[in-house]
Amino acid sequence: MGIWRLVLGILGLLVLLYGIVNLLIDVPIQTLGWVTVWLIAAVVIHHGLLSPVLVAVSSLLRRLLPDRGRRYLQVALVTAVPVTVIAIPMIYRQGSQPPSKALLLQNFTANLGLLLGIIAVLSLIGYAIKVTRDRSPTRGGPPST
Amino acid sequence: MHPTGTADQPKGPASGPRPRPRWWPRFDSTLRSTALTARLGRALGIAIGISLVTGLLSLYQYEPWSWLPALATPAWGYRVTQGVHVAVGTATIPLVLVKLWSVYPNAFRWPPFKSAKRVLELLSLTILVGSILVQLTTGFLNVLNWYPFPWDFVSVHHYLAYVVVGSVLLHIGVKLPDIAYGLQTKLPEGDVLTEIPWNENPESHSIAGDQPPPVMPGISRRGVLTAAAVGIAAVVVTSIGQALTPLERIGLLAARQPSKGPQGVPVNRTAEEAKVSASMIGPDWTLQINGPRPYKLTVAEIEQQAVHEALIPIAAVEGWSVDASWRGLRLLDVVERAGGTADSHVAVVSFGAGGIRRSQIFGPQLSRALLATQLNGQRLSLDQGYPLRLVAPNRPEILSTKWVSQIEVL
Repeated sequence: MGIWRLVLGILGLLVLLYGIVNLLIDVPIQTLGWVTVWLIAAVVIHHGLLSPVLVAVSSLLRRLLPDRGRRYLQVALVTAVPVTVIAIPMIYRQGSQPPSKALLLQNFTANLGLLLGIIAVLSLIGYAIKVTRDRSPTRGGPPST
Repeated sequence: MHPTGTADQPKGPASGPRPRPRWWPRFDSTLRSTALTARLGRALGIAIGISLVTGLLSLYQYEPWSWLPALATPAWGYRVTQGVHVAVGTATIPLVLVKLWSVYPNAFRWPPFKSAKRVLELLSLTILVGSILVQLTTGFLNVLNWYPFPWDFVSVHHYLAYVVVGSVLLHIGVKLPDIAYGLQTKLPEGDVLTEIPWNENPESHSIAGDQPPPVMPGISRRGVLTAAAVGIAAVVVTSIGQALTPLERIGLLAARQPSKGPQGVPVNRTAEEAKVSASMIGPDWTLQINGPRPYKLTVAEIEQQAVHEALIPIAAVEGWSVDASWRGLRLLDVVERAGGTADSHVAVVSFGAGGIRRSQIFGPQLSRALLATQLNGQRLSLDQGYPLRLVAPNRPEILSTKWVSQIEVL
């Protein structure tokens, strides 16, 4: 494994340097300053804002909800994150373009609502089935919590 | 068992966590695990690989080398590769967020800057995380034609890709033992990833010997993977309709709706944006063809010669694409009359201001190209490039030059 690590490390460094050198050649230095600001801002926003909020929400859920219900809510939330993340910029920009571009013409707020609704309903159905099964004396399975 | 001797972790048995301030964050969720991260990382690595290959291919399509002209077959080639590039890139946004969630505790090692090696690792991780987030975000913003960043998208997206890929390769090299452990370990049985490195953590499942798998009272690790996969699949299925026409109806998250474009094809650059108006193309307008035997074509001659039909999809770098039927003059006929041949390099010049005003065409695409006057059975509208638009199979939309004013046989 050692040799592979070395090869990957050296190759990675070379490719990384190729990218940085070409950015320095091709992009004006002041503009590159803005790229750097964006790079740092991305890390700060992710690590300093989004992740702490997520950690706070999950610890709150842990405190407030019983495990069985929480499990289904977590599944719903994890499924909802991808569609929400993609929809937000589209909601912000919808209707901003000339109609002939056929771009961002939809009501993405409603579309996101529909997708989240589908996720919520499916999760609720899953939860309801689970609750019913746990209550059913014929199955005799162990309770989930 | 977790391998020993990873680059950033001291060798030897557990020595217990070092003293750290009470306020220092503690992560006690049993959900995170090297086994989970390795699986997410594998998916992410594949996605980045696909994005790199399709991205470089797109760059080549923009400016093919003279000795290796862009192909004209399959006609839908760019439609597929760029559709995949944008779909995979979009899917990678949530994927990278889940991957970063899975390793978030690693940002809270104590002490934070233990050694020069750790500082270097943190620096490389900052470059990795920053570049991948910016690369994906700006790529998606480009799909939305939204440019809140003050730089040229193409060159930064191109070279930042190497920064991303280089950092990823370096990261894989550093983490290879962890990756091997993670992928070889069953998901429910893998270690618990916290802010304490596994080999300093006496409760870590990877060094504690045989003990029952960690208890996960809420969602399971497999549950996280499945839910994230379903969410990401939902994004792909509801956005791919901008390239995969039959799925346009369920394109709830599709930026473009090709069928709603004028004459059935969306417009990337409107006549107004290109500062082209109908008054610039009066009845006296002629198409100038330069070459060994220069000549001009009047509007009447163009209409008379526009008898060739072809089905050529329009595929844009933003990932949308649509089939279209065209009618027009064969570019090669026009070129040959000016003294050129199928081996000539030809420049097609546009009235339009800004954007790519002059595109080159040669090789197989030249032989199959049309100077289109009609799109889907109607005379080209101004937004679609009236009076003439260059179209060729497997050619990016931005090089399907609109408002053609001049042909130059080089």
